[in-house]
Amino acid sequence: MRKSLLVSTVCGVAAGMLLFGQVHAADLKIGIMIPTTGSEATSGKDMENAIKLAAKEINEGGGVLGMNIVTMTGDDACDPQQGTAAANKLVSADVAAVVGGYCSGATLPTLKIYGDANVPFVICAANSTKLIDANMGNAFQINSTGFDQVNTAVELFEKKGIQKIALIHQGDGYSEDLAKLTREKWTAMGKEVVAYEVVNKGEQDQSALVTRIKSKAPDAVFWTAYYADGALVIKQLRQAGYRDLIAVGDGSNSPKLLEIAGKAAEGVYCFSNPTVEYLPAAKEFHAKYKQTFNQEPDAYAALAYDGMNLMADAITRAGSTDKDAIKKALAETSGFTGIAGPISFTDKNTLARSNFVTLIAKDGKWTLAE
Amino acid sequence: MSFQDILLQQLANGLILGSFYALVALGYTMVYGIIKLLNFAHGDLYMLGAFIGFVVLSFLSAFLGDSWTGILCSMVLSMIAVGLLGVLIQRVAYQPMLSAPRLSILITALAVSMILANLVMALTDGEYLAFSTDLGYDGLELGNVFITYTQMVLVGAAAVLMIALYLFVHKTMYGKAMRAIAIDQDACRLMGINVNRIIALTFFIGTSLAASAGIMAGTYYGSIHFFMGFVVGLKAFTSAVIGGIGSIPGAMLGGLLLGLLESYGTQIPFIGTEWKDVFSFGILILLLVFKPTGILGKTEIERM
Repeated sequence: MRKSLLVSTVCGVAAGMLLFGQVHAADLKIGIMIPTTGSEATSGKDMENAIKLAAKEINEGGGVLGMNIVTMTGDDACDPQQGTAAANKLVSADVAAVVGGYCSGATLPTLKIYGDANVPFVICAANSTKLIDANMGNAFQINSTGFDQVNTAVELFEKKGIQKIALIHQGDGYSEDLAKLTREKWTAMGKEVVAYEVVNKGEQDQSALVTRIKSKAPDAVFWTAYYADGALVIKQLRQAGYRDLIAVGDGSNSPKLLEIAGKAAEGVYCFSNPTVEYLPAAKEFHAKYKQTFNQEPDAYAALAYDGMNLMADAITRAGSTDKDAIKKALAETSGFTGIAGPISFTDKNTLARSNFVTLIAKDGKWTLAE
Repeated sequence: MSFQDILLQQLANGLILGSFYALVALGYTMVYGIIKLLNFAHGDLYMLGAFIGFVVLSFLSAFLGDSWTGILCSMVLSMIAVGLLGVLIQRVAYQPMLSAPRLSILITALAVSMILANLVMALTDGEYLAFSTDLGYDGLELGNVFITYTQMVLVGAAAVLMIALYLFVHKTMYGKAMRAIAIDQDACRLMGINVNRIIALTFFIGTSLAASAGIMAGTYYGSIHFFMGFVVGLKAFTSAVIGGIGSIPGAMLGGLLLGLLESYGTQIPFIGTEWKDVFSFGILILLLVFKPTGILGKTEIERM
């Protein structure tokens, strides 16, 4: 009796240890690379929160292939050198995959490190076109590159039956490229760009521009630059009696634009990254995030959340943590529906569609346009 | 819009722009007339006028709402505050430098300009502030030409201020004293004129005119920021030179002319609106080469 008790105890402990050991061995280590210090720390921590929330939900639902996700954060501080250090840290900790990437500049040099280690990497927010060329095949961008909004803009103009558009930029790289690409796309469709104007930054009086635009009578005006001067252009266009469509690029996606332009901004369209407040599918996430972290999710929380879920989904589909299998599963993603919209990839591992959302100014606030 | 429409619309636009330039240019020209100082801080006083007006208006709107009364009150208060600040700057920064070489006082003026701009930048974090006033979009529609009532009121207000200034300088004893000091300070002292007081008065009037333009621009355009005085200051200086620096009617004429030149210049086909500043400063260079005394300036000018 005594002996059998002893045996059964030993067996029980051994089995327990074995079980425990197994559970321990079955951790799935996922790296998070975001800035948690420095100027972009707020956005970085927000993404980290969203990723951890996703991981927690996955674990509560049984984990991935029976494994429990544990995360490990590497701080890139939005700095290329720190980014390199963070990537080395994650790779030497032998993570199965990495999710994150906020600053394009800090993400760029890490692509080689992850590439050499063949670690699958879902880039949630960073969206410079430079990342495309540096990608060694293991990284996947789930945020649209900046100029995808051209497609969203053109789509809107088409839907509104617009024929003649006027483009205004401010001569800086970003707004000029956006205007140029829109012009190329629009003229390629056989439609007319009646005015293509540049204005100086910080100019308060836009009356000369307004007269030029009005004299060309466009059906739509597209301002591709930033909110402060954009607000003045909108206001003065409306003051001068221009009553057709006005749209602004994501550089003008700011409540400040509405504050400065006042009533004149009503009905103005704006293109925006998919932030939580404008995503109908993100309501549940929004509430959970607020409940868990006691704060509002920031601009890229939704994409970060999608990034983690996509990675878990890909590993499940791959059926193992073999890096090549995960890569293959990621590349084959189709019909994965995140809260920021469906995800599938081009052959360059970028998001296959424009994930920009169209907003409209209503009662002094940006709301999702139908 | 037909060609005539564009001409007419730009006439209106040019007059509005020109009114702002003229109001700021008056301060430049008055100060130069009386102590031969190019007060480069003048554009920043225009900016300060807008900011003080903004603060007063946000405070007043609790009682008066964003009405014209509120704007008028905050304009008057802001003019007085900035005017006094102008006098203070003159006393603290310029008075001790009056006998120093001309270049020293010019550099002092640049320093004052930087201090004011950076002070406001520090206080506002370099942010754009939005005037909450929405003056409405009603106006006169003449075919394709559209002029809002606000625009008419602005031009009217500028005209009233300019006429009042002209009358003050030419019909009152203080005005006479100003003109006299512009000709000969020492003789004025001998005649028993309190020269320092008149100089202070000149600064007060000049800077408060700039402040009035600042708050008008703020309410009209709807947003203000710490850097808004820089280009306007340079344009006003250009206006003053076009009209003949030191001459009050010259500053008014120069401001309006510059406003019109810019607004017509930017309508020339193939030359975009981004060339606006090139017009102004190109004209300044041409004028300095061919007629440095300006339109109303004479070589031996009676200043003021």
